[in-house]
Amino acid sequence: MFERILIANRGEIAVRIIRACKELGIQTVAVYSKADERSMHVQLADSAICIGNSASAESYLHVPSIIKAAEIFDVEAIHPGYGFLAEDAHFAEICESCRVVFIGPSPEVIRRMGDKAEAIRAAKSAGVPVIPGSDGIVADKTEALKVVERIKYPVIIKAAAGGGGRGMRVAHTDVALTSALQMAQAEAEAAFGNPAVYIEKYLENPRHVEIQVLADARGNAVHLGERDCSVQRRHQKLIEESPSPAITPSIRRAMTKAALKLVQEVGYVNAGTIEFLLDKDNNFCFIEMNARIQVEHTVTEMVYGVDLIKEQIRIAAGERLSLDQRTIRPNGHAIECRINAEDPANGFKPCPGTIDFCSLPGGPNVRVDSHIYSGYVVPPHYDSLLGKLIAWGRDRREAIGTMRRALDEFYVAGVATTVPFHKHVMHHPRFVSGMFGNHFVDEVVRDQGWA
Amino acid sequence: MDLDEIRQILQLMDENNLAEFELERDGLRIALRKAVAVPAITAVPVPQTAAPAQAAPAQPTEAKDEGKFAYVTSPMVGTFYVAPSPDSPPFVSAGDTVTKDTVVCIVEAMKVMNEIKAELDGTVVEVLVENAEPVEYGEPLFRVEAA
Repeated sequence: MFERILIANRGEIAVRIIRACKELGIQTVAVYSKADERSMHVQLADSAICIGNSASAESYLHVPSIIKAAEIFDVEAIHPGYGFLAEDAHFAEICESCRVVFIGPSPEVIRRMGDKAEAIRAAKSAGVPVIPGSDGIVADKTEALKVVERIKYPVIIKAAAGGGGRGMRVAHTDVALTSALQMAQAEAEAAFGNPAVYIEKYLENPRHVEIQVLADARGNAVHLGERDCSVQRRHQKLIEESPSPAITPSIRRAMTKAALKLVQEVGYVNAGTIEFLLDKDNNFCFIEMNARIQVEHTVTEMVYGVDLIKEQIRIAAGERLSLDQRTIRPNGHAIECRINAEDPANGFKPCPGTIDFCSLPGGPNVRVDSHIYSGYVVPPHYDSLLGKLIAWGRDRREAIGTMRRALDEFYVAGVATTVPFHKHVMHHPRFVSGMFGNHFVDEVVRDQGWA
Repeated sequence: MDLDEIRQILQLMDENNLAEFELERDGLRIALRKAVAVPAITAVPVPQTAAPAQAAPAQPTEAKDEGKFAYVTSPMVGTFYVAPSPDSPPFVSAGDTVTKDTVVCIVEAMKVMNEIKAELDGTVVEVLVENAEPVEYGEPLFRVEAA
């Protein structure tokens, strides 16, 4: 087992990783930017070192500084968290060449799954149903029109080097297709440094359901069920839950089987998530694989009683997977609300600033994964996630009841938060019914008159 | 800032029951925190913020002295080297005059030897870091008497 791990991240996930390390008796090294001097992860880690100025490019994304910090503290492994360098194959390669274990899959697998068009090809090879679309990159209008003839409108144009819901454009007609293609290519170049795009069938109001997997380096792999992440705004997840209220046991069997086939096909190691879209008839198709731990790993942990971060560390340390699919059993229902420093009544405008005072929920079946504290200054340089509120219940109805109660206890003074949005959703009949797709948030925002 | 000055501050903290002391002046920043001071994550919430206590300098003479010092700080995390190679003389020593473009040291990261410039004019008073020691971003490397 590792003696010392460096956490190449910040905020709530850095705290999460430090917690797992502490429980495993592993020493922790935090890296931080100038803006994060007083951040919780810096205070909780055994050692901390300032690696750069506030901008991500000069700190959390600056590979030489992170590798140097790893060298100074003689760490054996680096946990990249999510975002930042978590799916940077180049960084994973450098870790390898510096003989520091990167806690995640291999650089080759990261690269392969990071190329969204290639990941779809891999899924097809594994016999996983994929969303109808182009077979790889679409270079121009002529190719695009040929694809559309086959799959029909509406279609969505996506950046091959993209992901996380960015760099996507929808088209319903030939005229729209031409401009959408050009704009998508330009945006992809600007955002990801690569103008390559591919085309997929666009599903109206689909559900987003993903499967959590864990695999060790010896070929053992398990799934830990699904998460439903259909409550999204502009392709950013706001609420996640496990299990999905939409799928039947037979659909679950088919999806988890497909997920494990993909794991085997690409030789995936460590924690990962296979994302699917479900149409109104509950047909599912693969859209992408996230080769990292995810924000919403928490709901899976609450339902399956597994510490995914510890499992990641164990797998990276070369241990055999301790979980057996036959003994993995879900228990109850968990919901997560992402609490952001954003004002729902003002177009979800980000609101960095000083948290003058906060009081966080507690009690049975409530979990809070957060780095905030009274007096904490939320910096403007990074994402707006303040923390995650997770509620568990023996069934979905009870979990919703717990979440409503917990949201009432979530008090933050000084910055606006999305707590009011979550309170509204937890009481919304459509959310309670379990029957909603990823347009749900847009409807809520419209009905509430929020910008 | 030398050890004596730090001892004086620590004594001041004890005498006045301070858990934290932070001083920032002329490019130097020193923060002293007692082990018991932790963020109130699980403690009973209190209305005041967790901002560190800012105390005045220990003596008037010290304040006068501090006023004329500037600091060359590290622009990156890395290993500090006083000389271009193990056999060479150091780039600068106490008493040397520097200008903005004078290379004062090397900070190494991932085998790249980055030459660090003074970025200010003055006379080197003290080299603050030992050769081959690691430094973090923003760490003071040289105390300089500004021109």
